[in-house]
Amino acid sequence: MAKHRGRGIATIEYPTGMNQNGDPSQAWVKLKPDGRVDVFAGTVDIGQGSRTVHTQIVADTLGVPYDWVTMDNTNTDSSPVCTGSFASRGTFIGGNAVRFAAEKARERVLDIASKELEIDPADLEIADGEVVAKGAPDRKISISDVAAAATWVHGELITGTGAALKPYAVVDDDTGKVDIDPHSAISYAACVAEVEVDDETGEVTVEKMVQVYDVGRAINPMLVEGQIDGGAMMGLGLGLLEAAYPYYPSAEHRGGEFGAYLMPSLEDLPELDNVIIENPSADGPFGAKAIGEMANNAQPPAICAAIHDAVGVWVTECPATPERVLRALDERAEPRRDGKRVIFDEAVSVRGVSANAGKDAEGHGFILVDD
Amino acid sequence: MKAVGARLPRYDGLAQITGQVRYVDDVRVPGTLWAKALRSPHHFAGITKLDTGKAEAMEGVHAVITKDDVPLNVYGHLSALGVPGDEPLLAEDEVRYKGQPIAVVAAETEELAQAAVESIEIAYDEREPLFDMRKAFDADAAPIHPWGPVYNHFGPPDHRRIRKGDVEKAFADADVIVQGVYRPQAIEHCPLEPQTALVVPEADGRLTIYSCTQAMYFSMGVVAAHLQCPLNRLKFVGGTVGGGFGGKVDTATETVCALLAMKSKRPVKWRWTREEEFLASSTRAPWHMEIADAVTSDGWILGRKMLTLHDAGAYTRFSSYGLTKHAFHHTGAYTIPNLNFNGYVVFTNRVPTTAMRGFGVTSVSYAAEMHMNRIADVLGLDPFAVRLKNANRIGDLTGNMVRLKDPSTVAVMLAAAERIGHELPAELRGMTNEPRTGELLPEHLKASVATNGSED
Amino acid sequence: MKLYVNGIEHDLETPPLESLLTALREELAITSPKAGCNQGGCGACTVIVDGEPRRSCLTPLAAIDGASVTTVEGLGADGALSPIQAAFFDHYATQCGFCVSGFMLAAHTLLEREPGAGRDRIIEGLAGHLCRCTGYVKIVEAVEAAARGDVDLSRDRDRESEFLTEGSQA
Repeated sequence: MAKHRGRGIATIEYPTGMNQNGDPSQAWVKLKPDGRVDVFAGTVDIGQGSRTVHTQIVADTLGVPYDWVTMDNTNTDSSPVCTGSFASRGTFIGGNAVRFAAEKARERVLDIASKELEIDPADLEIADGEVVAKGAPDRKISISDVAAAATWVHGELITGTGAALKPYAVVDDDTGKVDIDPHSAISYAACVAEVEVDDETGEVTVEKMVQVYDVGRAINPMLVEGQIDGGAMMGLGLGLLEAAYPYYPSAEHRGGEFGAYLMPSLEDLPELDNVIIENPSADGPFGAKAIGEMANNAQPPAICAAIHDAVGVWVTECPATPERVLRALDERAEPRRDGKRVIFDEAVSVRGVSANAGKDAEGHGFILVDD
Repeated sequence: MKAVGARLPRYDGLAQITGQVRYVDDVRVPGTLWAKALRSPHHFAGITKLDTGKAEAMEGVHAVITKDDVPLNVYGHLSALGVPGDEPLLAEDEVRYKGQPIAVVAAETEELAQAAVESIEIAYDEREPLFDMRKAFDADAAPIHPWGPVYNHFGPPDHRRIRKGDVEKAFADADVIVQGVYRPQAIEHCPLEPQTALVVPEADGRLTIYSCTQAMYFSMGVVAAHLQCPLNRLKFVGGTVGGGFGGKVDTATETVCALLAMKSKRPVKWRWTREEEFLASSTRAPWHMEIADAVTSDGWILGRKMLTLHDAGAYTRFSSYGLTKHAFHHTGAYTIPNLNFNGYVVFTNRVPTTAMRGFGVTSVSYAAEMHMNRIADVLGLDPFAVRLKNANRIGDLTGNMVRLKDPSTVAVMLAAAERIGHELPAELRGMTNEPRTGELLPEHLKASVATNGSED
Repeated sequence: MKLYVNGIEHDLETPPLESLLTALREELAITSPKAGCNQGGCGACTVIVDGEPRRSCLTPLAAIDGASVTTVEGLGADGALSPIQAAFFDHYATQCGFCVSGFMLAAHTLLEREPGAGRDRIIEGLAGHLCRCTGYVKIVEAVEAAARGDVDLSRDRDRESEFLTEGSQA
């Protein structure tokens, strides 16, 4: 009849880009006659803010004010391929595509500016929408005038295309060995969860979570925080509340409504303390890595570890519902010890449940860890 | 002035807070018909009779489609990656999960469409389903697919394998072997915006497809394959989604609406009900993971044996991809030199599972981190200390032989420890991700670490 | 059925047993309230009816004949944002944006009745609204800012220049 506090940690890593690569993102950029920039990319904004991140990348790559950049990701007639907004690839691979396109456009801007100023492109730089001679700040031309000159004098559409693609990594079917990195980068995170467990009701309340994320470079810190916060609540749901099949392996649902499926609500919000580390990637735009997908991975094990710290039981089937916590408290299961083996959870293992240790009549089937 | 690194407001922020963002359900096209589906009420059954005549004859119904209307009915989402398709867009002679779509109706109103669905004559012969993947090879397990209980295109093996070093020696050398089972469950994506597609047949024969897909070109490829048409026949319009989380990639609404639009020559919208989202839409997969780690009493992990069962539900979808990713990351953020991993994509009679935030790795992060905490507990060691000594460092080789160039495992852990005020002894506090030397490079790790100057 | 929506009188053709949500979205083409669940479970359909936040998906027209309805399109005045809208914008309280209409109208009403409401009251008052993207953190921060009166109401996109940073970055 008591409440117990506990703390648990988890450290995770997560790859950027589709596993084994081979997932292109492409973009193209054009300048209007007054220098304003149109970006066409296929990356879908599912809420993560890819349109914001991409326009930020283009603005700084080209050297124009942020509000000069508009983005159209609305359709497949004008936008080129983006494999999709998943696998945490939107900022890195999608961002590289727009960056490459902006770099090509930048070269064209410098080339035309060099003709207008009669200065070698290598001696020019761009900042805040102006092309300026290095070391001679009074020799300059605005990008607006460059675009006008391109349109009305030189007969050129200033444009740039970009395609980001890491080649497909081949895997050896016997060993799993790959011939090249099967990812564009790897992000890392740690989570410490503090919980309070009521040993009479089995209820677990997450009081606080400290989360540390290495995102390479936070292109927009507000967007990164949004992912950390949203992921934290989704992770809390995974750890404590949510199950499509509450009586798994039965396929029975509890119903087809929000009230029957417990998605985290405002009242589940714990204290969140977020730390962003920037250990830049080698190849990402401005050193960025990724965060979107991994954001809900560290919380479930941290919470379950905290439950063990609080009340001394391991709940190893998520969600750690009050029922599961109470059952674990009732059973106080100890692992079986067999020589130097310490064996937990035997009753739910394949060996414990299957009639023939997971094998068919010919002896073929699952390779168990103690086969 | 710089934009990168700035806390700029959202590009679409003003449109969002003034209610001007257009999601698929906000698009208005005159003459739009509503779609409703006939879905299997059984987990596993043969279809012995299907007659849509009454539905087609109903006033206000403009089209009914079944498998016969689909130019290429069976097409796998990963076919382009060489994964053979096993799932029909609309059921063929059997249904393998409760909720599987069999026929779809397009009518003037939602109510009419639903009434037409209910008028379709259908008969089933029910079969014993399989729900528990641990028993998939058992003699009495329901044969869901003709080729057997698991996905069998991982090359010759019927499972994804990681083999590294000498795991038997590691187990012989270990002071303790810690073994446990981890079972995270199926999760609903629950985006606030339900799956919605609207397809408009244009005068020139093209189809404009308003879609909430997370992946316009990926979905366009799927539709084009089902319709057997070139990509320029289709124009996907989207780019703004009311939440996805991985659940709006395994496209089906667009193809169905396209077929109905072609047949009825009217725009057709299919907006899933929240009930359909909970009961028939794909979920995160349930996973079953068994880990046995060979450890020393001072906390080194010498080797890992792991068995993963991934519950694919009734069809493969992206499961083989997810399991492969899982295999590549099954050592977590640590360097474990001797490995024997075996992972299976197992079919059960439930809604096919799909990608969801963290796909493939969420499960292994759960298992690996729970197991690390158990190891620390069994050995009586600080969970930070066990992690820090095994943590990835520059030059470490992963399980699938990737050379790590700049891992941040140590950095994030030390930052977390500091933030919570957890006192670590000096030798741990001073750790970095620099290449292993001295006490951090015991004999058993030498083969897994780059020698000076050699880089892939 | 007659309704006053954002100050404009409408004679509705939508049948009286249909929901207010259907009438708004399908007949009047006011699409800011969203059909998140049509079960009253998520709050994305919330609009203000005679001063009360109501789940429009569960409100039959027959029950509100002659009522005054406010949607997001009716917030703010003379080209300026309402405080709650400005707060949501500045505090990045949106990600996919699908839930935001319901949240803002509920928060707007809460703060009208309880100006200066504190964090606990805000959480309690909005608890029936679901968001899957934001984890609620910045939504609460936005409503707290609006409660404090700490908002900038201008609607100008050029305000973005306030957020940019000085100097060069690699």
